[in-house]
Amino acid sequence: MAQKMRKILLIEDEEIMINLLQKKLVREGYEVSVARDGEEGLKTMEEVRPDLVLLDIIMPRLGGFEVMEEMQKNKELRKTPVIVISNSGQPVELDRAQKLGAKDWLVKTEFDPQEVIDKVKKQIG
Amino acid sequence: MVRKKITPIKEELQRTKEDLADLEMYIEDFSSFLPLAVCTLNPLEIIIDINQAFQDLTSYSLTEIIGESLERIFLEKKEAKSLLNKTREKRMVRTEELTLISKEEKKIPVRVFVSVRIDEKGNFIGYFLTLADITEVKKFQEKTEEKVKRRTKELEGSRMALMNMLEDVEESRKALTNVLEDVDEARKRAEEERDKTKAIITNFADGLVVLEKGNRISLINAEGERLLNVKTKEIENKTLSDLSNPPAIKKIAELIRKTKDEGLFRKELSFKKPAERVLEITSISLASREEAVIILHDITREKLIEKMKTEFVSLAAHQLRTPLSAIKWTLKMLLEGDLGKITDEQQDFIQKTYNSNERMISLINDLLDVTRIEEGRYLYKPALTQLENIVQFVVNSLKEEIKRKRIKFEFKKPKEKLPKVKVDVEKIRLVINNLLDNAIRYTPTGGKVTISLKHGKEKVEFSIKDTGVGVPEDQKNRVFAKFFRGANVMRMATEGTGLGLFIAKNIIEAHGGKIWFESTEEKGTTFYFTLPVKKEFAEFLKEF
Repeated sequence: MAQKMRKILLIEDEEIMINLLQKKLVREGYEVSVARDGEEGLKTMEEVRPDLVLLDIIMPRLGGFEVMEEMQKNKELRKTPVIVISNSGQPVELDRAQKLGAKDWLVKTEFDPQEVIDKVKKQIG
Repeated sequence: MVRKKITPIKEELQRTKEDLADLEMYIEDFSSFLPLAVCTLNPLEIIIDINQAFQDLTSYSLTEIIGESLERIFLEKKEAKSLLNKTREKRMVRTEELTLISKEEKKIPVRVFVSVRIDEKGNFIGYFLTLADITEVKKFQEKTEEKVKRRTKELEGSRMALMNMLEDVEESRKALTNVLEDVDEARKRAEEERDKTKAIITNFADGLVVLEKGNRISLINAEGERLLNVKTKEIENKTLSDLSNPPAIKKIAELIRKTKDEGLFRKELSFKKPAERVLEITSISLASREEAVIILHDITREKLIEKMKTEFVSLAAHQLRTPLSAIKWTLKMLLEGDLGKITDEQQDFIQKTYNSNERMISLINDLLDVTRIEEGRYLYKPALTQLENIVQFVVNSLKEEIKRKRIKFEFKKPKEKLPKVKVDVEKIRLVINNLLDNAIRYTPTGGKVTISLKHGKEKVEFSIKDTGVGVPEDQKNRVFAKFFRGANVMRMATEGTGLGLFIAKNIIEAHGGKIWFESTEEKGTTFYFTLPVKKEFAEFLKEF
């Protein structure tokens, strides 16, 4: 079973969000890695090869969009599903994220942690 | 001898007698022949003899008049008497005019000549009096007088006419003088007015360009020169379209040409040259429609401040959302027991805190919507849609709330399918959500809310009627203002940011639609909006 554990990379700079999501995801049985900015996120991605990335948009150093752009350039990483967790839900941003291959989009203020889990499950079971 | 002597004397006497008789006859003949009426008076002023002419004139016979006093035959008795007295003094008086009264009582004007009679010894023995009938003379005189009178009268008439004419002329002159004075006054006033207008124009804080016939620039004030970066000398009497330089003028000229008839009201135009600037342009056609005034109001600074404000609010709202999300998620996990078991009391408090936090989030979301509207980046993806579907979606999402307040809700759909409208679905959903949410919120439990859809001329009309508290009469004009909340609604202490209708109005207008309402306090409110079915939308979208 341990090998089958799904790996999720959480790229998020807000400490409390990390804590909350991590707790929730671990409880649901996922293996969670955390990166606190985009650069670190890309690096961890290479190392961990996650089954799914939960990605914040506004972060220090490298933002969410830039992370996705980098992922698009990489044949392997391109395949990894991304769910964007953002502070805003602007259609412009949504569109851009979709074009960059994001599978889903969550606006933090509009969703509960449980709904994040639901969306994750929908992507990778 | 004596005989001899007597005989020649006798003869002499005889001859003398004869001579005398001859003389008397002669005098008598002469007297009767004389055309002048003559009478002889004794010293007592008694008539003692008259001639034929006198008889003819007075119609008295000799016997009838002899022995009568003179006064009898004159109308003016006293004058007749005094005339004789005067004659005695002066021996002869003439050209007295008296009125003779004939036997038939006829009044005859006569001129009287009187002289005294004196015998050979110089004794006064009476008067001679002659009367000259001056009836004809009088008549002639009267005629003449009448003529003169008439002529005088005529002349007087002419004179009067002339006088009147002169008066008229004088009056006309006065009137003319008045007119001239008035004209002069008016001219002075006009000049003053012109100077005043010029002073106002020159010193006006906004830029002013006055166009005359054919869009020729007749005046531009200092501020106008500054804003457009031109000099009066260069552009005066040129038409707007003659001037392709500077680009600002070209832009304005185009705008003016396009909206010639309606005029412009506070149309914003931005320029990069000569400096980055935003002008608010208003053009007013003057009376003749051939002339116009263009007002250039520099709002560059306002725009900058507005932009900074919007950016600040936007940033602040974004920054607020992060901690609010954290709070939301934490509370939610606490409530769901993800972080350990909690007591009922804790559950209750946390739930309330969670609700407050949700309100805060919705306020922040509204604020962000407003800032986006103000930044002009709001509408996003127009799509052809059935309005009915959007309404149904919103109704479904608020079903629970409708049920909870036991509101009788009805959605009246049109019998025929409405034409599709090109809208930003998300935004229209927000509008309907705001309107339905308000209707439910401000309608007492058990009230009624009805949504209707109608097909109008080239538009679709949405209306939502409630039996709620209504909008106070004196606040009706502020309903769509930012942060407005009705006084009656504030007392109800229900939540609400006062931004919902402001957002709704902006969204509807951005779609080229209209939004309005009717309301009676305590009775209810109906909000309406229309959306155009056809093209217009495309235009609006570009501006957004």
